[in-house]
Amino acid sequence: MVIKLNNVSFQYENQPETLSGIDLEIAPGECVLLCGESGCGKTTITKLINGLIPHFVEGGVLSGTTAIDNINIAETEIYRLAQYVGSVFQNPKSQFFNIDADSELAFGLENAGVDPAMIRERLEQTIKALHIESLMGRNIFSMSGGEKQTLAFASVYAMNPDIFVLDEPTANLDADAIELLRQQIIKAKSEGRTVVIAEHRLYFLVDLIDRAIYIENGKISKIFSANELWQLSESERISMGLRSLKKSELLIPTVGSSTDTPDLTVENLSCAFDKKEIFHSLTFSVRSGEVLGIVGHNGAGKTTLTRCLCGLHKEKSGIIRLDEKVLKPKQRQKSCFCVMQDVNHQLFSDSVYNECLLSSPNRTEEEIDKVLQAFDLLPFKERHPMALSGGQKQRLAVATAVLSEKKVLIFDEPTSGLDYRRMLEVSGVINQLKAHGKIIIVVSHDFEFLNQICDKVYYIDK
Amino acid sequence: MSSAAKKGRLNFDPRTKLILLVIANIVAFTQQSIWVEIAWVVSLLILIAVCGCGKSACKLAVAFSICLLLQYYIVPVMPQVLATTFLILATYARKIFPCLIIGTLLVQKTSVREMTAALRKWHVPQGLIIPLSVTIRYFPAIKEEIGYIRDAMKFRDIHGIQKLECLVVPIMMSATATAEELSAAAVTRGIENPNKKTSIVTMRFGVHDVLCLAFGIIFCVVAFIIV
Repeated sequence: MVIKLNNVSFQYENQPETLSGIDLEIAPGECVLLCGESGCGKTTITKLINGLIPHFVEGGVLSGTTAIDNINIAETEIYRLAQYVGSVFQNPKSQFFNIDADSELAFGLENAGVDPAMIRERLEQTIKALHIESLMGRNIFSMSGGEKQTLAFASVYAMNPDIFVLDEPTANLDADAIELLRQQIIKAKSEGRTVVIAEHRLYFLVDLIDRAIYIENGKISKIFSANELWQLSESERISMGLRSLKKSELLIPTVGSSTDTPDLTVENLSCAFDKKEIFHSLTFSVRSGEVLGIVGHNGAGKTTLTRCLCGLHKEKSGIIRLDEKVLKPKQRQKSCFCVMQDVNHQLFSDSVYNECLLSSPNRTEEEIDKVLQAFDLLPFKERHPMALSGGQKQRLAVATAVLSEKKVLIFDEPTSGLDYRRMLEVSGVINQLKAHGKIIIVVSHDFEFLNQICDKVYYIDK
Repeated sequence: MSSAAKKGRLNFDPRTKLILLVIANIVAFTQQSIWVEIAWVVSLLILIAVCGCGKSACKLAVAFSICLLLQYYIVPVMPQVLATTFLILATYARKIFPCLIIGTLLVQKTSVREMTAALRKWHVPQGLIIPLSVTIRYFPAIKEEIGYIRDAMKFRDIHGIQKLECLVVPIMMSATATAEELSAAAVTRGIENPNKKTSIVTMRFGVHDVLCLAFGIIFCVVAFIIV
């Protein structure tokens, strides 16, 4: 089916125009990348195609027409569009209606009222085609982000749509999961389906796409052929705010198991969950003013290590020492701070200023202002934390840690789903903490980012 | 196929469980005899243990025994004031056990899909089924969120009553966002389709369903007659 956007403009309620005058035609079987900085309007285009605009997003102003073949999207109910367009979204946590994988896979077909015998047949095909045998029969709360995203793609695939629309599907995925998604896209493409994908991460799409649409301030600014895009020079792609086109290799020296003249040392650390060992005998150290990156495959225990370091998980054996003092979990909670992947979980107050006061009630207003100034938050002092942008929220969390004089700051995937410019902002924050002499540990699979900030990298693997 | 059925364990039709829940209530609140109550709780515990909730059955059995012990051995030797309070507490706590037991079975061994399919068979309107299934979907999600938020509080030195207060903002935020994203995903997968929906769950009263309900009803009636 042909997707046609004809002079489409769109404006969300009470906001400036997000898209203006978009003309775009996508041929059947084409794989098209929508790229550009956060907020450029690429997600909005995906919503135009799957019908969320105008049917789901309320109060917006839409002009122009979007159609697939002769079906005008604005005049067709979403459940009818669901036959032709399948959507995969960014957040793996919130795109399941059911709690178990089997139900979820059948959900779309059951909604369409397909005959049960045919549903079973289609599910079997899907499971085989996408190799998801290992997911079946499982509860979604026992799945990793990558597994959830695989299931999300599969449940859309089961509905057999002509068009796949993917909105930043890799924002929360690690390299292995990205590779899985890549294989799924290849599969869909080989079956002649159209794939429209809005993404920041580009490297995994290298040999998949036919065209890349670069969007800037709600307008199509340039259309690249796959070849043209991959031949962009480093400086060109950086000035366009795009993430790396090649799979980044880690350029930072990895550390072995030495513990020389350190401020934070971890010796022979082992952790277990219900007697099942997660990792065994890790040894490393970090100095003040140093940034240690922690990398490793999914399931190697990065999350458990983070939780153990900041005192949320009790070690099975081993010693964690800060300034030569052995710290128990409770003590680690006092001297460490973890900037979580979803920073919304750690802001509790009704204004930026009160947020700072919450965990350090003895600080004077001047001291707080100074820290807010350092993290570019002073103009938003009276703003509600939840009204801040993602980057500002992250900086506010860091500011509260600085105010309560935490020595160790641990970042859990701080750049997931960020474009190049926002990644640089996070690097800026970390460099600032470095200058303050903090001990910084960054858990991430974003090698492009780790290359910019780390002094050394510790690789954990089974 | 649900995981319980796969393992060859007994799995009841969701409708059986719902009817059983009603019977459990009737028995619990019409019976005064402690022996009937114990017999009833024990049979239900055996039932859910057979269905694969062995662990929960043990926990509930222990809790039930504690209630009995409290009432018959500890309360009598307590000072009068305390005794009255405890007696009321123990009696009422005991009364809800049958519901708790069936509730455990429902929550642990019934998927959202089986539940919706059952309700559809009873011609419960779509407008009621969707919010109900979203609610069931939501509990484990909220539990997960609360876990993260409580972790986050530990770094911020938040204690006591302040903890409860601090839960509100992040929970509300994540609830709103999740609700929005969840509905977007459901809508693009055709949940609003007015067609008659199908289900690949085969819903049939088996022999075990009939036996189970018959036992429940007979128990109910017999207990009524002899006591």
